[in-house]
Amino acid sequence: MSFDHSKSQHVTSSLMRESLVDKNVIARTEAPVSSILPDVNVIQIGGHSIMDRGRSALLPLLEEIVANQAKHRMIIGVGAGIRSRHIFSVGLDLGLPTGALAALSAKDSAQNAYMVSCLLAKHGFVYLEAPFVVQLLPAMLAAARGAVFNGIPPYSLWEHPPLVGKLPPHGSDAGSYMVGEVFGARSVIFIKDVDGLYAADPKTDPEAEFIQQARAQEIIDRKLRTLPIEPVVLDLLTRAKLARSIRLINGLTPGNLTRALNGESIGTLIQQ
Amino acid sequence: MEDKNVLLTGLGKQLVLNSLTDASVQKATEDTPDFAILPWVNVVKIGGQSIMDRGRSAVYPLVKEIVDNLPRHKMILGTGAGTRARHIYSLAIDLGLPTGVLTVLGTAVAWQNAQMLHYLLAQYGIPFVEPEGFSTLPHYLLERGAVVCQGMPPYKLWEPNPVAGRIPPQRTDTGCFLIAEVFGARKMIYVKDEDGLYAADPKKHPSSEYIPRISVEELLTRDLEDLIVERAVLEFLARARNIREIQFVNGLKPGQLTAALEGEPVGTIIYRNGDAE
Repeated sequence: MSFDHSKSQHVTSSLMRESLVDKNVIARTEAPVSSILPDVNVIQIGGHSIMDRGRSALLPLLEEIVANQAKHRMIIGVGAGIRSRHIFSVGLDLGLPTGALAALSAKDSAQNAYMVSCLLAKHGFVYLEAPFVVQLLPAMLAAARGAVFNGIPPYSLWEHPPLVGKLPPHGSDAGSYMVGEVFGARSVIFIKDVDGLYAADPKTDPEAEFIQQARAQEIIDRKLRTLPIEPVVLDLLTRAKLARSIRLINGLTPGNLTRALNGESIGTLIQQ
Repeated sequence: MEDKNVLLTGLGKQLVLNSLTDASVQKATEDTPDFAILPWVNVVKIGGQSIMDRGRSAVYPLVKEIVDNLPRHKMILGTGAGTRARHIYSLAIDLGLPTGVLTVLGTAVAWQNAQMLHYLLAQYGIPFVEPEGFSTLPHYLLERGAVVCQGMPPYKLWEPNPVAGRIPPQRTDTGCFLIAEVFGARKMIYVKDEDGLYAADPKKHPSSEYIPRISVEELLTRDLEDLIVERAVLEFLARARNIREIQFVNGLKPGQLTAALEGEPVGTIIYRNGDAE
């Protein structure tokens, strides 16, 4: 709550002595945001959907990334995949809390991101851990020709308790999206192994309706049983200031990423 | 694939074979057991604006009370940010910087306060621990009884945007709560400069109603304009698995922190419904 001014040492500011929990004070902080890296594209490579498939899925995709390197600046987030599902299984059996599961899972996506960075190293891509994303990303993009980062955000033990169950809600989709939002990226593209968003899982229901374009809130309201991205990304989109849309594409189809980078209508576009 | 998974539990097979976003998979994790990692630790949050910014008159007596409690209670001491954070939030908003950048900036202020508290407690062997060093906490807690950390969660640029405005929604109240929840702590105590929760800010409305005990569900329903704690803490308490109540005491009144550590109902207690009545 706000502050007894008589006995304290203040710095003058518009928020001085105010409660940052007061709704009226919070509403006053609404103001325009500038983009920090407006020409960067954030590309998220799925862990289970792409990385776990190995060479046959990943290498053509990386070739497509390199082919686009001269035209588009890219930073690449990478997801976790099957090893995280295994450690969730063991960790849940041991009774470990959500924050511990998040700390463990982040190492799986770090491994995947490191492998991607090795495969792209000869093209000038660097691997950046979270502290270096904070300090060095703009400098690295100026000097190097791209960057790879761990898609899972550095929440670790501080991961939020989920609404249902114990699985960490912020995985690599959320982390990559938030990098796009905070830097005000030109686009945020999620590379998966399905063509985009369906009303049901297309792997088990081939008749499922394909959704080419939708608003985040509409998708939340439909309460679909399963989604190709983490549900928390939809919540984050409703509060976006800069990254106001995301695109989901099938990374197993050559040319999709190039089309998405060129702004063509491919896959599913989810808007704020 | 199933045949090779003989080592996996039934839930493990679901996790490996289905989508993690599948509602039934998430539901299945609901019934797994909970193990408390540090069941004897107390997380104590020292307010930034409410305590640290007051300087010696507020901080010295509180440091003495913390030291007096070291033989009986193990404590993780997290610090808030305060007036310098308010200054830099105003400046950064004016400059058009996003919420994630405000979090990086605010974290530095909580860090400064944690360093100052650490200097005052150093002669008792109490270390300052960064988030990256949290795996050493069990050792320091057993050897020295307490550690100091900065209260902000280590989200850095990955702080989610708030529903309204630009101020990071998960600050030091939330960071300390999440430490208590993940370790399965004995208590989560917030040390501020009020006797507890009021229906309105008591500094602006001296006659406002005092609330000594309330469920988090009722408090969320009342949707007060102002609160003694970040709203994210209430949302997380409502769905927490380990922490069942949080307590707010007045750090300007000697003995209140000690009473709370001893389990007495001083200040305000916000509890999860159906748990502690």
